[in-house]
Amino acid sequence: MRLTTRATLVLLALLTGAAAQAVELRPFVAGSMQQIRAAHAGRPFVLALWSLTCSHCQEELAQLGTLQRRHPELNVVLISTDTPDDAQALTATLARHGLVRAEAWVYADTFSERLRFEIDPRWGGELPRTYFFDRAHAVTARSGALAPAELERWATTPVTPAATP
Amino acid sequence: MNRSAWILMLAAAVLAPAWAASDHSEHATQRDPKRVWEKSLARPTLAVGVAADTSGRLWRARVENGQVLVSSSDDAGRTFTPAVAVNREPERIAADGENRPKLAFGKNGEIYVSWTQSLDLPFSGHVRFSRSLDHGRSFSAPLTVNDNADIISHRFDSLLVDGRDRVWLTWLDKRDASAARQRGEAYTGAALYYAVSDDRGASFAPNRRLAEHSCECCRIALARDTDGMPVVFWRHVFGRNIRDHALARLDSPTALTRVSHEQWAVDACPHHGPALSISADGVAHFTWYSGAEKQHGLFYAFSRDRGQTFSAPLAFGNPDAQAGHPQVLALGTRVALVWKEFDGKQTVIRAQQSRDGGHTFAKPVTLASSASASDHPLLVSNGTRVLLSWNSVAEGHRLVPLPGDRP
Repeated sequence: MRLTTRATLVLLALLTGAAAQAVELRPFVAGSMQQIRAAHAGRPFVLALWSLTCSHCQEELAQLGTLQRRHPELNVVLISTDTPDDAQALTATLARHGLVRAEAWVYADTFSERLRFEIDPRWGGELPRTYFFDRAHAVTARSGALAPAELERWATTPVTPAATP
Repeated sequence: MNRSAWILMLAAAVLAPAWAASDHSEHATQRDPKRVWEKSLARPTLAVGVAADTSGRLWRARVENGQVLVSSSDDAGRTFTPAVAVNREPERIAADGENRPKLAFGKNGEIYVSWTQSLDLPFSGHVRFSRSLDHGRSFSAPLTVNDNADIISHRFDSLLVDGRDRVWLTWLDKRDASAARQRGEAYTGAALYYAVSDDRGASFAPNRRLAEHSCECCRIALARDTDGMPVVFWRHVFGRNIRDHALARLDSPTALTRVSHEQWAVDACPHHGPALSISADGVAHFTWYSGAEKQHGLFYAFSRDRGQTFSAPLAFGNPDAQAGHPQVLALGTRVALVWKEFDGKQTVIRAQQSRDGGHTFAKPVTLASSASASDHPLLVSNGTRVLLSWNSVAEGHRLVPLPGDRP
């Protein structure tokens, strides 16, 4: 796993080139979803899917930017369904919404059906799409730009203790 | 090989072209815009348009290096003629997902082609049109059909020739949304616009608006009614954000009929448009996707009275396998549905057929599969046969006869 992480960072450096932004874009491929779940084991996190081609995603990113400013301790994972070719536009968009500290991924496999299936077989592909993972990783899925109140409610809900064995 | 190493190799393989390109584009944007332009044109496209002309000959339109390429087949798609470029000057053309180049035919052998040209700002585009009056040997210089020239969205074109040989184009247009924003007002969704030509596509009448507040990014379904008039079926925004479906005829555009009632309330871009087919007996057949929590998946319904009443929507496809992007084609009382699913390893095109006008359907079958990126499925008929048209990276463009068709 350490190898993968280091390799990812090297790829990122190459991907974003000399003008590397504060946002690091990781390549989302088959197996990445499992990796994300494992990396956040035992912790709640919010996972948001977005694209440069989706107008409502801009609202969603703005809300998530606000959420992260208000609650810096929250784990926010962002996956863009665009391509690594769009890296410049993606990092610029995330920076504009103040999402420089979020964990950011981009689809890096043109066979997007497989990536979508690994994220959620029931998801029809509409964007934005948000998943709230609780500490035990029970998931609530939501489609569409979320109201600020809904995100705030999630952020301030007391975290239930992980199930004791 | 351990898993980590495998992921590393896969990531490297996938990203190799990307980082090279990204490295170039940093400097190239200032230094070599021509190279950036060429690269954007060279991006492979997947969406292929296929349609049959009045004699049953199949025509295909695909996009390569910024050009729409048209060819035809007289053996149900086994072989195609060498392709002819429609637009001489390459341009950036939307040909993926909800956008595919469109083909339609006039009574005297005219070939009409439309597509969406992508512009430099996000979500912006122009509706483009060209025609051939010499059976596809040459095409006219493309026209931009939207008469608002702002760099905003005029996209998701649909093309149809009506019973009086007039050429109709419909598309999703953001000129009203843009004007509202300039006034500091909110505007829900986009608007559905259309234009008509009564001179075989030489020119188009001024653009007209069919409906305000359509969904922004779902393809529009167009079909010719038995009286020759175009019928439009699209994902509309009802109220603040209910993205269900509406129906209208282009000769009575003020009367909008609501077709679907899943109450999918969502501020999202579904990129998931409906389909419509009207059979010779006048029955209209509809199919669509909804992501509503209680009614999630694919639906089919028919109307025997021009949209006065509808059959109870029939759910089909497996929502746990991403069932999506449905198409419908009716040939008399035969009704074919095709859609996309993902079985955990590969994308499959599934089909269900009815022989009684949509009252009952036989069990679903798998028509084709691919473990690579693919276009949405399309159905085409030459009047006697029904074929699936489907393009995928690994297998290329295929035309597959539906069960019950002579091979």
